[in-house]
Amino acid sequence: MLYRVIDASELPRLIEAFMAEYEVIAPVKSGRSFAFEVVESFDEIVLDYPTTLTSLKKFFLPPQETLFEYNVDDAEVTDYELTVKPRVLFGAHACDINALNNLRLVFDDPAYPDPYFEAHSSANMVVGISCSPTDTCFCHLLDSDEVRSGYDLFLQDLGDRYLVSIGSVQAANILEAACNPREATDEDRRAFRQRTRARQEAFDTSIPDIQEIPMLMDAFHSDPFWEELGGRCLSCTACSAVCPTCYCFDIVDVLDPSGKQGRRERRWDACTSPQFALVAGGHNFRDDGRDRVRHRMYHKLNGFNSKHGRYLCVGCGRCVRACKADISPIEVLKFFERKGAEEELASSSDTGKEERDA
Amino acid sequence: MPEPKKVSVAPLAPNEHVSDGLALMRENPYRPWPARITSITPLTETEKLFEFRLIDDRIREAFHHKPGQFVEVSIFGVGEAPISISSSPSKGGFIELCVRRAGEFTERLHEMQCGEIVGIRGPYGRPFPFEEMKGHDILLVAGGLGIAPLRSLINNIHDERSEFGKVTIIYGSKTPAEVMFRNQFEMWRHRKDFDLYLTVDNPDETWDGEVGLVTAPFAHLEVDADKTFGAVCGPPVMYRFVVEEMRKKGISYDRIYMSFERHMKCGMGKCGHCQIGHQYCCIDGPVFNYWEAKNIQGSM
Amino acid sequence: MAGFASCFGCQINITNIERYLLDVLGQIDMQYWQLTSSDPMPDDFDVCVIEGAITTSEAEKSARLLRDVADVVITIGACAKTAGIPGMASVDYRLRQGEVYGDDVPDVVSDTAYEPRAVKDVIKVDFEVPCCPADPYVFVEVLQKALRGSNAYVRTSTLCGECKQNERGCFYGRGILCLGMVTQSGCHAKCPNLGRPCSGCAGLSTDANLEVARRIASKSGIGAEAFDAAVTVFNQTDPRVGDPSI
Repeated sequence: MLYRVIDASELPRLIEAFMAEYEVIAPVKSGRSFAFEVVESFDEIVLDYPTTLTSLKKFFLPPQETLFEYNVDDAEVTDYELTVKPRVLFGAHACDINALNNLRLVFDDPAYPDPYFEAHSSANMVVGISCSPTDTCFCHLLDSDEVRSGYDLFLQDLGDRYLVSIGSVQAANILEAACNPREATDEDRRAFRQRTRARQEAFDTSIPDIQEIPMLMDAFHSDPFWEELGGRCLSCTACSAVCPTCYCFDIVDVLDPSGKQGRRERRWDACTSPQFALVAGGHNFRDDGRDRVRHRMYHKLNGFNSKHGRYLCVGCGRCVRACKADISPIEVLKFFERKGAEEELASSSDTGKEERDA
Repeated sequence: MPEPKKVSVAPLAPNEHVSDGLALMRENPYRPWPARITSITPLTETEKLFEFRLIDDRIREAFHHKPGQFVEVSIFGVGEAPISISSSPSKGGFIELCVRRAGEFTERLHEMQCGEIVGIRGPYGRPFPFEEMKGHDILLVAGGLGIAPLRSLINNIHDERSEFGKVTIIYGSKTPAEVMFRNQFEMWRHRKDFDLYLTVDNPDETWDGEVGLVTAPFAHLEVDADKTFGAVCGPPVMYRFVVEEMRKKGISYDRIYMSFERHMKCGMGKCGHCQIGHQYCCIDGPVFNYWEAKNIQGSM
Repeated sequence: MAGFASCFGCQINITNIERYLLDVLGQIDMQYWQLTSSDPMPDDFDVCVIEGAITTSEAEKSARLLRDVADVVITIGACAKTAGIPGMASVDYRLRQGEVYGDDVPDVVSDTAYEPRAVKDVIKVDFEVPCCPADPYVFVEVLQKALRGSNAYVRTSTLCGECKQNERGCFYGRGILCLGMVTQSGCHAKCPNLGRPCSGCAGLSTDANLEVARRIASKSGIGAEAFDAAVTVFNQTDPRVGDPSI
């Protein structure tokens, strides 16, 4: 990776350079929260936003997307073209870029590359920015607090300057034309280390750091805990709507009002939606909240990992805020912590007993 | 200036420069290809066997399936549904799908006539390990509509019969009226190279076959476990009992294959609807061996 | 297209999509539309669209007649789906007659009027277009589904997921009561998107988790009682409302 340093005062020039050629999307204030929206000027951007309500997922996998169009009567596919404007997604946090990398593992699968995702993905330039954790952040527990690929630029805030990791030629060209990037010095690297350490120390330590999560997900698959957690589920699917890695979708046909032409559309779907695992004939393979919530957590913390070697949860904390029933991976981590404590207690009393017996 | 990115889908021109059907299919894996219904055979009150022929030569020639795979069938305006292929790959140029009237989509498909056009994309999924099965005895167990994907395997074995040892087929239905492909099986009952057990839960006066659950024939079955492959497909409740019987006969975990039913919407390991534990029924299955199935949370 | 106890707003709302109306009507042979013509009801038709709640034995008779003739029955709007606003009168119904007429309840009222009911509580309903008023675009979609079939499943998930897509933030964070977490999704959270909390006009989802929702209302300072009262506006006749076990 190539590293350069620019002054904080140069950042507006970088944004303006992006704006000259791309649509720029960046975090802005939206009500009491923040959202990624199209910006027209640097001043609209909130560089130190805590988190956004929803993620960048919608710029890669829109909530609704037409796959093709057709004539109903002669069953003929007609002309259809999807055009994606080149965009810069500015201000992505490390967790969100890791989330995009997870989506790429699914949609850029060499066996079945997804042309729609590919169009969005190749039209999007991603510029990341460092952050400090909020009280619902746990990215560090799921190896997502740092990101090594999947961005064009990553800006590490060092106070009056930024250490910039450069991930693509286009971004390097724009950066060099708009700013005066200079070699990083020992002083810059020292500041970087200090910032990193400060971030690591700022995480909420009440969220337990659990080792071997995938193994525990298997071990406690039948624990009554899931009944309790899933029993709380409102079936509202807010979790997956705000999740940066939930990628499941439904495929439906939509007719125009005349019924003559139609389109096939994909729409976000959620495994916590009651009908998600329903098959023709009426059998539902995940018929209750327990099975659905457990499946979602299992996929995030075990299933995806066994396939791709990384968690599908990046610890961004959005679902923690969105779920009114307090269902989130944090609850699962806390459950494992309780289980661990119970087991330790049991084994220490066993040891005590053995000692007495001896 | 950076260029906008595009995805185009257009009608299929007959004399285009692309002659490679596989290349056409890869261009957009969501696009269905027109296929004509060339034959419809009613099987029972609720099931029909449809024969489809892909209309475009390039696509038809590039389409090769293996037993156990499925296709996504489109009725434009109604939607799309995954349906397992019932015909043997040894017969090319057409595919047969055995369809139960079980919902909106299949209701509409049942109303369609010969000559009408649907869309087909695929084939998808991991098939039965046909090549590996060669040289072995085969024990096939089907329950109800589970015969649909197994028929592809059965007919494929039939067409290459000399490659296999003893072939035993157990096919259970609820009632005699629900037995599918009855003519084919009636014919086979007298053959020496297929041991056939047709069984029904609730017999009537027309029934002279076995009575009882699909596991009943196991009582008098002789299995050479070391050289046998098992293949199972049926309703969700059936698997546990049948694979237990196969285990009792000594067949190894990794030689018992089963095909699972889920709603595969995309067929490409993305949409998530067919997930079983960490596996996608559409790309990791629908055919799994028992060992794999045991390692999937919530598979049976 | 027939109307029972309702404001007829759903039918009027359908006329609001002038741009598409001719396209829609092009697919069907409109035999009877109470709102637009005084011609008598025909003897034969395939699809019947019903607006409004059933509030009299007369209306029930008409609904049964419609059901007998039609292959497909579609209801539009909250009144038809959940008994809606008329349904609010179903509690202490006889008392309410007294409040209106005093001791002198007319025979026609006492003989035929009864506790308002949702159409599905009287006859079998094939498709429902929820909300107050019914969304005309959803109506067209449902009509297409009835005419041609569709394998798209009806989701019973509640509203918050759709609301999050609008990126508006949650009313509960501001201590404002909203019924999104128990209400059937499908409207894309139009009201919350315009700054108004959900009033539940799409009806309770069959998968609504009322017990947990009440707990959330109480924990957030809104109060379970306020939540219960809000739910009754569009769901008074739902058997889950007022169930002491919830």
